[in-house]
Amino acid sequence: MRHVKWAVMVGLVALAVGAVGALQAQQLSGEYKIGVLEPLTGNLAAEGKRHLEGYEIVRDLINERGGVMGKKLVFAVGDAVDPTVAASEATRLATREGVKIITGTFSSTLCGAASEAASRQNVIYWETSCVDPRFAKRGLKNVFRTEIDGTGFGWYNIEFIAKHLAHRLGKKTSDLRIAYLSEDSSYGQSVTESARQRAKQEFGMQEVAAEYYTFTTNDLTPVILKLKNANPDVLHHIARNQDAILFWRQAREQNFGVKAVVHAGATGYGSPDFGKAFGNDGNGPFALLEPGPGVIIDKFRPEGQKIERAFRAAVKARTGSDIPAGGHQLAGGGLWLLKLVLDAAKSDDLDKFRAAVMAMDLPVGSSINGWGVKFDEAGQNSNARVQHYMLQWQGGQLVTVWPEEFTTNRAKWIPLGAWDQRK
Amino acid sequence: MHVIPQLLASTILLGGIYALIAVGLTLIFGVMRVVNFAHGEFLMLGMYLAFWAFTLLGLDPYVTLVLGLPLIFGGGWLSYRLVMRPVVHASHNVQVFTTVGLSIALQALALVLWSADSQFVRTSYYAVVVRFGGMALNLAQIAAFAVAVLFTAALFAFMRWSYTGKVMRATAQDRHAAALMGIDTGRVFALTWAVGITCVGVAGVVLAPIYPVYPSIGLQFVLIAYVAVVLGGLGDMVGALIASLVVAFVEVVGSYVIGTAWKEVLYLLLFIAILVIRPAGLFGQRGAEVIGT
Amino acid sequence: MRGTWPAVAFFAAAALGPIVVRDAFFLDSLILILLWGASAAAWNVAGGYAGQVSLGHAAFFGLGAYSAALLGTRWGVSPWIGLVVGAVLATAFGFILGFLSNRLRGPYFVLATIAFSQVLLIVASRWRGFTSGSEGIPVPFRPGFWTLGIADKRVWVYLVLVLAALLYLVQLYLERSRRGYQLAAVREDEDAALSLGVPARRLKVAAIAASAALTAACGTLWAQYVGFVDPYYVFSVDLSVRFCLATILGGIGTPLGPFLGAAFITLLETSLRARFGGIGAGLVGIYLIIYGVVLILMVRFAPQGLVPWIGDRLRWRPRLGPTA
Repeated sequence: MRHVKWAVMVGLVALAVGAVGALQAQQLSGEYKIGVLEPLTGNLAAEGKRHLEGYEIVRDLINERGGVMGKKLVFAVGDAVDPTVAASEATRLATREGVKIITGTFSSTLCGAASEAASRQNVIYWETSCVDPRFAKRGLKNVFRTEIDGTGFGWYNIEFIAKHLAHRLGKKTSDLRIAYLSEDSSYGQSVTESARQRAKQEFGMQEVAAEYYTFTTNDLTPVILKLKNANPDVLHHIARNQDAILFWRQAREQNFGVKAVVHAGATGYGSPDFGKAFGNDGNGPFALLEPGPGVIIDKFRPEGQKIERAFRAAVKARTGSDIPAGGHQLAGGGLWLLKLVLDAAKSDDLDKFRAAVMAMDLPVGSSINGWGVKFDEAGQNSNARVQHYMLQWQGGQLVTVWPEEFTTNRAKWIPLGAWDQRK
Repeated sequence: MHVIPQLLASTILLGGIYALIAVGLTLIFGVMRVVNFAHGEFLMLGMYLAFWAFTLLGLDPYVTLVLGLPLIFGGGWLSYRLVMRPVVHASHNVQVFTTVGLSIALQALALVLWSADSQFVRTSYYAVVVRFGGMALNLAQIAAFAVAVLFTAALFAFMRWSYTGKVMRATAQDRHAAALMGIDTGRVFALTWAVGITCVGVAGVVLAPIYPVYPSIGLQFVLIAYVAVVLGGLGDMVGALIASLVVAFVEVVGSYVIGTAWKEVLYLLLFIAILVIRPAGLFGQRGAEVIGT
Repeated sequence: MRGTWPAVAFFAAAALGPIVVRDAFFLDSLILILLWGASAAAWNVAGGYAGQVSLGHAAFFGLGAYSAALLGTRWGVSPWIGLVVGAVLATAFGFILGFLSNRLRGPYFVLATIAFSQVLLIVASRWRGFTSGSEGIPVPFRPGFWTLGIADKRVWVYLVLVLAALLYLVQLYLERSRRGYQLAAVREDEDAALSLGVPARRLKVAAIAASAALTAACGTLWAQYVGFVDPYYVFSVDLSVRFCLATILGGIGTPLGPFLGAAFITLLETSLRARFGGIGAGLVGIYLIIYGVVLILMVRFAPQGLVPWIGDRLRWRPRLGPTA
């Protein structure tokens, strides 16, 4: 027992010494370092790691094409487990690693704290994924976002439902019965509320139900029964991972005959986990994402085609998959835009950088994911330029089905029909 | 009106699962006076056991259940020897923090080893549904319910009619008197703990075909188990079973009537209400909560 | 004052920190050590000194954070007022919890505290109209002392240092004063204390209410420093566990313990993160395993925490003191 106590004490002292040692700054020259902040441990780690992978893939592409401002691009990586740590890591990246630009951070709950900390240190914050609508509304001059926010997702979803699903279901938009189901975090709430608003105000769709639930719920049968009573044509369901799996299984058990299920984002129906869980039984639901299989890259502009093809090849080389994951596309797409800005600004000085960002105006199809660029005064890339695509589960895989001019695939099973019939 | 049979079916199936988790928890508290804050993590480990047996060895979860039973029991015994035995006579606070520490360590271990990705055991029959009387019942859930009832009944019979069961009940009543009677309380505690862990580990295995598994899945079940255990009276097994059904009922009906968004509030408020009005639970001994023993 | 020299050294070192070192990350770590230490010390008032172990203290922390954030964003009110409002609200809830503590003992009380914090979490995350629901609240940064919009981390260090020192003194008071001795008696054996005429019930409630108010104050400062209030974080059981973890590691029922524990935790996590950043970051998660294991070992071998444990080793004499 005595030895255990001594061992513990010695261990603690060693740790303290090691900790002090670890807090030493490191700097290399001949390279250009930026900070990358993602959740790499904890519950968000699965998606965070995919984002980091996407960053690394595009970083290598960038370095093959001359790097940034003539130097090789390297990363200093921070782990943003929770808001407190996100802020601390941002500070560490700015001070100890000496970066002038920090990019990240995927989760809406982390990007707020991280960007605040970055602002205190006067570094540029280049957000590639989080969808909190208030992110760009704080009047911070150093904060930019390449991806559209949650309201944009809702906007696109309703665009798809109104312009594509409605007529294929043989209904006018004002006759369409739509039900909303959503997990209750920041992500689900922002997408759902924006969808609800647009559906009602712009198209006059009939909202027959709106329910929120905690994504860790054990049972969704009561909700499914309520939805069955409400008899919707379309279900707008924003899910995390395990709840999408639970819902799909229980909806099938209860014979929920909805005609279409629409989701947005790389979780839930947009995640490879859904396909792994269900295989062909998961065919049918739609998910708003970056371009997946079937997208006609030839429809992009020439520079967009080149980089998109190179990106996909690199993803395949690294992961063996023909299909980039949503996280890869968001992070990689955002990083490529950063390179374009730095090439134009030739500096990471905030004023020059910001001027270059505001001046940039590229049409849809110019970059990875077929994105264009046009930032507004708040540092937000516009909805119209950040082209999003609707994917559908077909043959156990997500394939691009909309906008139709961009893809070879077509949406199937509208209405969904019987549960066993969708092979 | 036509939803009532389905709501009832969901209540019973869900309640059965909660009961299997709760029964081990209440047994451990009844005999050892320890609230196991790591109970949810053992559930999670049971689920991962089924998952890895399925993925690596191709074993169906019900086969894993039979083959893995000694393994789970052994794991329970081992965790008692390593972690719980030294603190079984210590103060409440020490015991609380020991199981909290165990919970943190086990969850973190799962996170480091297997990452936070959701894994799903997709058996060939996972979507098979039995339909009658306006109800749709998932086969795997029926199986889980059956296992739960079986185990609870077996445990109850064991405690009631076997000699060892009698010894355990004696220890639960008064551990010092039991020791004076020549009962080896140390062995009783080890057995109790192992049995309790076995119940929740088994619950994990039968839940694997129903829910996707990830390191923090224990939390969503164990909180409900605490409510059921307190409602039923800490230490009362039949009480735990009945209370599990009550909690499931509140959850299912509450979700339907009021809305899923507020269902956690319902059972949490129920929990606090019990603690305020009748902390001993429906069937527990009055005053147990004040003595703390 | 015998026994306080380590504390004096600790606080003096913290005060000297910003003068000697200007690196923002170092200061950030120092601020977090002091802030988490203060939160843990606030927990210690109820958990260590009154013996009322709670795993739901995040409820009070969150109340403090939300008060400041809501008052600031909705009505432009200064976060200092938000701090007071948060503390008052927390005190009220603390009284409720105190009432529960008089009806429940041991693990029953612990479970009640967990349920308590979870109810607040759900209310905060569902009440979209008032709290912005799950989206949380970005705390507006308005430069100025009155608005607690302070960019200079050195000023933050001194701010938090004041709070930490205050909490240290509160704990010291509980160690040395008559009320403190009475509280210790209640902690050791409530029935015996009652029989001696100690107003056990009132003392327990007072301790919990005070602990609640102080925790809320920490929550307010945290919200202003980090700048984003997320209900799933500020009301989480993980955060509650963090407070007790720090206190137990450092020494439950000792005034400096919480701060030492907080220092250990913060330094461990920070160094692991700095070392293992990148795809191999899965390994960083081992700090949680370390916490779990150390917690188990601590409560068994050194229930008084590191401080007295080291003291015992150095003095080569067994110490007669209160058991946890």
